[in-house]
Amino acid sequence: MEILWATVAWLLDPAHWQAADGIPARLLEHVGISAAAVVVALAVALPVGLVIGHTGRGGTLAVNLANLGRAVPSYAVLVMVLPISLRFSPALGLDVIPTFTAMTLLAVPPIVVNAYAGIRGVEPELVEAARAMGMREREVLGRVELPLAMPVVVGGIRTAAVQVVATATIGAVVAYGGLGRYIIDGIARNEDDRLLAGVVLVAGLALLVDGALALLQRRLTSPGLRRSAPAGTPVTRPSRSR
Amino acid sequence: MRLSRRLALGASLLVLLGACTTGGGGKPAIRIGSDGFYESKLMGEIYAQVLVANGYQVERKLGLGPRKDRVPAMESGQLDLVPEYLGSGLGFYDEAKVSNDPAANKAALQAILDGKGGGITVLGYTPGEDSNAFVVRRETADQFKLARMSDLAPVQDQLTWGLPPECETNPLCAGALKNEYGIRFPPQKLKLLDACDAPMAEALVGKAVDIAELCSTQPVIKQAGLVVLEDDRDTQPAENIAPLVRNDYLAKVGDRAAFQKLLDDVSAKITTQVLLDLGAKVTVDKQDIDDVAAEWLKANGFVK
Repeated sequence: MEILWATVAWLLDPAHWQAADGIPARLLEHVGISAAAVVVALAVALPVGLVIGHTGRGGTLAVNLANLGRAVPSYAVLVMVLPISLRFSPALGLDVIPTFTAMTLLAVPPIVVNAYAGIRGVEPELVEAARAMGMREREVLGRVELPLAMPVVVGGIRTAAVQVVATATIGAVVAYGGLGRYIIDGIARNEDDRLLAGVVLVAGLALLVDGALALLQRRLTSPGLRRSAPAGTPVTRPSRSR
Repeated sequence: MRLSRRLALGASLLVLLGACTTGGGGKPAIRIGSDGFYESKLMGEIYAQVLVANGYQVERKLGLGPRKDRVPAMESGQLDLVPEYLGSGLGFYDEAKVSNDPAANKAALQAILDGKGGGITVLGYTPGEDSNAFVVRRETADQFKLARMSDLAPVQDQLTWGLPPECETNPLCAGALKNEYGIRFPPQKLKLLDACDAPMAEALVGKAVDIAELCSTQPVIKQAGLVVLEDDRDTQPAENIAPLVRNDYLAKVGDRAAFQKLLDDVSAKITTQVLLDLGAKVTVDKQDIDDVAAEWLKANGFVK
């Protein structure tokens, strides 16, 4: 109980809201590296997932590769990238590049897998109907498959973003800033209030990101899909890979 | 396939045979622990092998982890012997008593350990020590004419500092830098990394930081030709290594003086250079700790 009050006191202390080690600065660093990683992962993973979902080619390979990627701990990526990135850039190779790389690799698998599964889950009759109406492949993907798969696709992005926000804390191991600083420093200094404050901040940020993306997910879902469709008219099948 | 199976069978028979012969010797089994990093494991293994060679049955529990996990294991009687650094070991209980005199550190640690876990004895310490040290690259030392810690103050803002996360609250780190060497804390350019850890060493060699807190026996110092700055104001505590042994185990050994002499003679031969050389074999040449320990004990006549 005492430690909870100490943590609240730590969070409310004005000294912890100032300067380079203050909460706003650390929050900005944390959001910065997380956003950069998710955006780059999106740019790579989303097209891949959509295309393999649409064509069905290379799907098993891509999904298995992605799942294999999930099995590699971010900490291992961090430590493996460090000596290489230092050789390229002493200025960024210690903290920024390893953290960014590990977080990007963490974000790719859920985005690929969900995009693939979402598109594969669209009823084939609807896709055939779209083709019969004379739609080009690009239009089939963009106007039929993607809107129907949107909840699943955005769900993948949501998973990726929450994982990245929670895991970006390990950047502090390689001298990066971010909210993980409070956790790593709290452990090193044996200051439980600092450590717990870091945990609370990270968890809060993760919940906030999850909530925001849940709203986006709802906004991007076509109205017809929002309520469960009446029996007998399924528009998507439950995906196999979940 | 068949050969390896036969070898395995032979090996297990040997183990059985070994267990029988040592078990019958009447010397009580000893459980030896150590911290998780190579040097602590190496010292634990050296003490283990010299005891095995003298008929003790040794149960190895090496690589247990940091002091705050290992100390309770020792105090609660789950371990009989651990190698310990005198300065840090004392600082774990009482930061204020730590000094740069190994004999004083040993005496102060002994006074505390008398009342821990039914009594624990600090045996003789090694002449060699592994203390925290501030290290720069050769080119940085040349450029800024750095040889001693006192040379740092005028050029402090031109250097990127690699310091541990707990530096700010550690009197031996930020305290010593501020009060003895005139370094403002936090320094203008600062990267927080664990002292003596691989990323810290990589950051220094890779030029992401210019001055780093490492351990004085860290093999990278020799390997990368780094320069250890002299601690000319004597701020860092003496970190000589000594085995700690539980008193209830010592009471069981029979000839306590012989047991102590056995370990003290080994410790007496462990100089800082030995720690550096053996450390390089483990971390740079990737040799097995067992082999490195065995080779050194043989070369020094402790094991035939």
